[in-house]
Amino acid sequence: MTEPLLRITDLQKSFFGVKVLHGVSLTLDRGEVMGLVGENGSGKSTTMNLLGGVLRLETGEILIDGVPYNPRSPRDAQEAGIAFIHQELNLFENLSIEENMFIGGFPRLTGLPFIARAGMRRRAAAALARVRIGHDPATPLARLSQGERQLVEIARALLQDARIIIFDEPTTSLTHRETSRLFELIGELKASGIAIIYISHVLADIFRLCDTITVLRDGHVVGGGPASELTAEDLIRLMVGRSLSQIFPDRTPVEPGPAILDVERLSQPGIVRDITFQVRAGEVVGISGLMGAGRSELARILFGLDPFASGTIRFAGETIPAPEPRDMIRRGMAFLTEDRRGEGLMMEATIEENIALPSVDDFASAPFGRVDRARLRRAVRQIGDEVRISRTKDVGETPAQTLSGGNQQKVVLAKWLLRRPKLLVLDEPTRGIDVGAKFEVYKIIDQAAASGAGVLMISSELEELMGMCDRILVMAHGEIRQEFARASFNGERILEAAMWSPKTGEVAA
Amino acid sequence: MIGEMAQTRRYSEQAKLVALRSAPLILFAIVIALFSLLSDRFLTVQNFLNILTQSSHVAILGIGMTFVLLIAGIDLSVGAIMFLAVAVMSIYVPDATPVTGFLTCLAVGIAFGAVNAVVITWVRIAAFIATLSALFIGRGIALYITETRMAFMNMDILSLGRLAYLGIPWAIWVFAAVFLVAFVTLRSTPFGRQLYAIGENRSAALKAGINVNAIQFAVYVISGACAGIAGFVSITQVGAASATFGLEKEFAAIAAAVLGGTSLFGGRGGVVGTVFGAVLIQTAYSGLVIINANPYIYPLVTASIIFVAVFVDSQRVRILETINRRTIRVEEA
Amino acid sequence: MLSFTETRVVDATTRREARHWRDGRIFRALLSEYLVLWLSLAYFLVMLPIIPAIGSRAALSNILADMLPLLAVAVGQTFVLIVAGIDLSVTAIMAMASVVGASVMSSQGGFAGGTVFAAPLGFVAMLAVGAAIGLFNGFCAARLRMPSFIVTLTGMMFFSGAAIWYTTFHTETSSIAGLPRSFVAVGQGSTLGIPNSLWPVLALVLAAHFILARTAFGQHLYAVGRNPKAAAIAGVPVARVVILAFLISGLCAAVSSALYTGRLETGTPILGERMLLDIIGAVVIGGTSLFGGRGKVVWTVFGVLFLVLLDTSLKMLGLSLFSVLAIKGTVILLAAIVDTLRVRLTGTRS
Repeated sequence: MTEPLLRITDLQKSFFGVKVLHGVSLTLDRGEVMGLVGENGSGKSTTMNLLGGVLRLETGEILIDGVPYNPRSPRDAQEAGIAFIHQELNLFENLSIEENMFIGGFPRLTGLPFIARAGMRRRAAAALARVRIGHDPATPLARLSQGERQLVEIARALLQDARIIIFDEPTTSLTHRETSRLFELIGELKASGIAIIYISHVLADIFRLCDTITVLRDGHVVGGGPASELTAEDLIRLMVGRSLSQIFPDRTPVEPGPAILDVERLSQPGIVRDITFQVRAGEVVGISGLMGAGRSELARILFGLDPFASGTIRFAGETIPAPEPRDMIRRGMAFLTEDRRGEGLMMEATIEENIALPSVDDFASAPFGRVDRARLRRAVRQIGDEVRISRTKDVGETPAQTLSGGNQQKVVLAKWLLRRPKLLVLDEPTRGIDVGAKFEVYKIIDQAAASGAGVLMISSELEELMGMCDRILVMAHGEIRQEFARASFNGERILEAAMWSPKTGEVAA
Repeated sequence: MIGEMAQTRRYSEQAKLVALRSAPLILFAIVIALFSLLSDRFLTVQNFLNILTQSSHVAILGIGMTFVLLIAGIDLSVGAIMFLAVAVMSIYVPDATPVTGFLTCLAVGIAFGAVNAVVITWVRIAAFIATLSALFIGRGIALYITETRMAFMNMDILSLGRLAYLGIPWAIWVFAAVFLVAFVTLRSTPFGRQLYAIGENRSAALKAGINVNAIQFAVYVISGACAGIAGFVSITQVGAASATFGLEKEFAAIAAAVLGGTSLFGGRGGVVGTVFGAVLIQTAYSGLVIINANPYIYPLVTASIIFVAVFVDSQRVRILETINRRTIRVEEA
Repeated sequence: MLSFTETRVVDATTRREARHWRDGRIFRALLSEYLVLWLSLAYFLVMLPIIPAIGSRAALSNILADMLPLLAVAVGQTFVLIVAGIDLSVTAIMAMASVVGASVMSSQGGFAGGTVFAAPLGFVAMLAVGAAIGLFNGFCAARLRMPSFIVTLTGMMFFSGAAIWYTTFHTETSSIAGLPRSFVAVGQGSTLGIPNSLWPVLALVLAAHFILARTAFGQHLYAVGRNPKAAAIAGVPVARVVILAFLISGLCAAVSSALYTGRLETGTPILGERMLLDIIGAVVIGGTSLFGGRGKVVWTVFGVLFLVLLDTSLKMLGLSLFSVLAIKGTVILLAAIVDTLRVRLTGTRS
């Protein structure tokens, strides 16, 4: 049997002391298209980042054509013939197509420092033709659609003689036509011997494209095999599979109160359409859906960060025609965003400064706005203890950036809980934190609901939603597709609803 | 239906963007039109040549600054370099011929720029601070060399101020040469294109294998070189360098670049815009002189023009941001 | 403390518990926020044997008197730097305020000249100038989203020119004299050996410190400088905070202008010329970061102290202008290098 093109053996990796990959192994042959499937946090991205040279190997081995491979940078990966087409494209909008393609190494006129434009154009045109882009290579990249830009990245990979191309969620921003074009191209690449790793949530696409499928969960390979021998149900079961006990605290029974949030026919063209739902006091409502379904966007609209075109938002009984963060906070809404580092915390500030920020005005007294620091520190310490942030003793000295992911998230939670909000909107509350901290976060959410707050929880982890929520709304393509009550929670059916697409209708079973 | 609404909104926004991008040109047209109406001495070849001559040193300075701004850097020391270059020439090479004088100034500029480059790229000090210190140190050294007295140039050098080929003053030729080299470099060399990439997205540039450090180094050397040349050109017109020679010229260079469309944040702009900016400012200035306007309002007019241009550009960026707000692609029906 | 380099994200996987000389007390004291103060004292002690006169009452008094107006405008600049902006127009504000104020209170044709209200009205006029320009700067930066560098740069160009022009309306000469005694006394005089200008500046410094360290607004300022997105999500009125920061800078520049104008006994449109880089240099030596989110009034005090001490000592050494400039530049550079080293050794910015 010939040596496979790619052999990954027992890959392990940890971040901040948290083990993320527990020994991933897989093989890939020339001309093979492998689908890599798994939920957020399953280890797909980490494995691919290791392969693509974005992260350094820790334990484990990678062989390419039998030769050991240990990249120190994406450049090494490129030279080894591995191309990684990320979801966030690595292109320069201020340059032309051909310039983007050759930016790492332009062809030159012999002996002179000038770009050999004619030669470059020819090679670029050839590569573009191969991926079927109709544009002239001199076209500014900014004029291209998202799908076309992706094709440019692929063309660049081909120019660099890629042997393995990794695609990470390539179709999220593509139209139906662009997706078909991409798939045709993948077929051609495969025929020419290039191996492809295709990461996606869209199971229909996986089955359409892939020869083999590998399923990751919690940093392990939990299953896989030839695509012909697997069904969508198998995949979902492997992806979701964990037993739900001992991960989630028992939910404190609460009698739901009146509706805190009442949304009616909320629409913003291109983002969300006809959203209608309620969150009652004491209730935990989950929003499930794939990336790009509009969940975070919906939350941002409710909080006032983005506008909306039509519909009504009622908060605690009052209609809010034009929400605005400062006002919504005052009314009792809290918003924990999905980007903890970029939007949730001031990394260089101390724990105390972070927790206190939305509430400083409440601790300030007239006439000069002087803050009662002692009272503030007591309140911060107390909420820090409630939320179980380690090192609550030094809240005034410890910068947020030295904390673990779990503690950082707790700081953000504490920040909001200090205000005893009426509605707690959480976007991916347990992203990037370890199991122990997750449990504590779940307890906090439960307690918040028990004390009368309404909770709106957006998450990509199905079992998290099923473990914590009273109801789950499933969004896809900007609409709420289905609602599930706790009694009828069913992982497979929720995932199916999330995978609805106006292009393909229901998911092929 | 939703797709259509979004589409129409996109078109009107695109139209607005196009209009805003041509604002500097429109501004230029207004200025020319205004002054032509106010005086018939404005729209003459001689006046035009005067404008170009007088703006040449700022344009050259601005060209060097453009390289720096394109990678989102800044060079506050260029005015000091101008002064230091001519000071060195005046004191240490007093019998310089035009050629050796030019080379002296160029050499000083390159050397000083290289020091800046080392401090910024290797010691990793932020450009603002590094070039701010360089400004102090450079001026200090220059004042030391000249003992705070006027630095005079020999007749050979000064005669360049009256030199003209084909009726076009020598300064314009130098400026044109610098412009050409810069233009071709930015447009047609790997170095130039990679510069734009770095300014647009530094981390992507690193990932693409671009040698960011080397390019950053070169950029500050270029800025220094241009400052040296600008000093030389300026001194041929002014005759002698007082202690305020080159003072605050860095701001004029930055203003010209920004006016011409170069972004302070990198990745956008070019030398054509910068030259345009320098010429526009000088045109307005010259127009004011011709119509015998109250000299006190000159800086006010200049500042206002720059302000308007930057204001318009900021609105353009704002509209771009609104368009690029996170959108889920709506399926075309 | 000092911060001249870009943010470094701490790579936690390579972070180690440092338990050796780096944690030592002396080392920490060296790198603490009082570094510039210790440096100033050390420098003073080193200079004493060389220029004994620097320890004299007169010299110390001069140093203090020189520090005060510079400190006033530097405090305002600190606010703007904290929100990650910059105010290049402060010297132009000083010039404008000087001539406008003088035009109001001058006994030679001033609007309120000769009356008992001359000085107070003049001062109010100066504050108004500072406030108006500050508000304009803030508005352009916060609401029109123009880069503060350019807005304040054009402001500098515009208002220094405007100040000169304004002067021509009031006098044939290039400055406006005839200022009331009471006004001049604040900028110039001293009571019992203590400069009169100490009191307003002290009040300003204390007020500024109070705002930054003790009020909610202060927390808002830091938040906007550290992470404007997170600040907005936390309910901070970002635009309002930025506008206020520039307003404060304008007002501080006006106060500084009042002191200098009093000292010079004339309203002059070239007030503050060449001072801009001293102002920014002092704030930055003190440790306030150009990138926002970090800065303290007391740091600026130390920075100004150090700069003025340096200036004075060099003048007393008989060094001429060029050496002063070159040495100032070198000092700023050294301060930046110390900061880079500090960041690399301790791995953090704080």
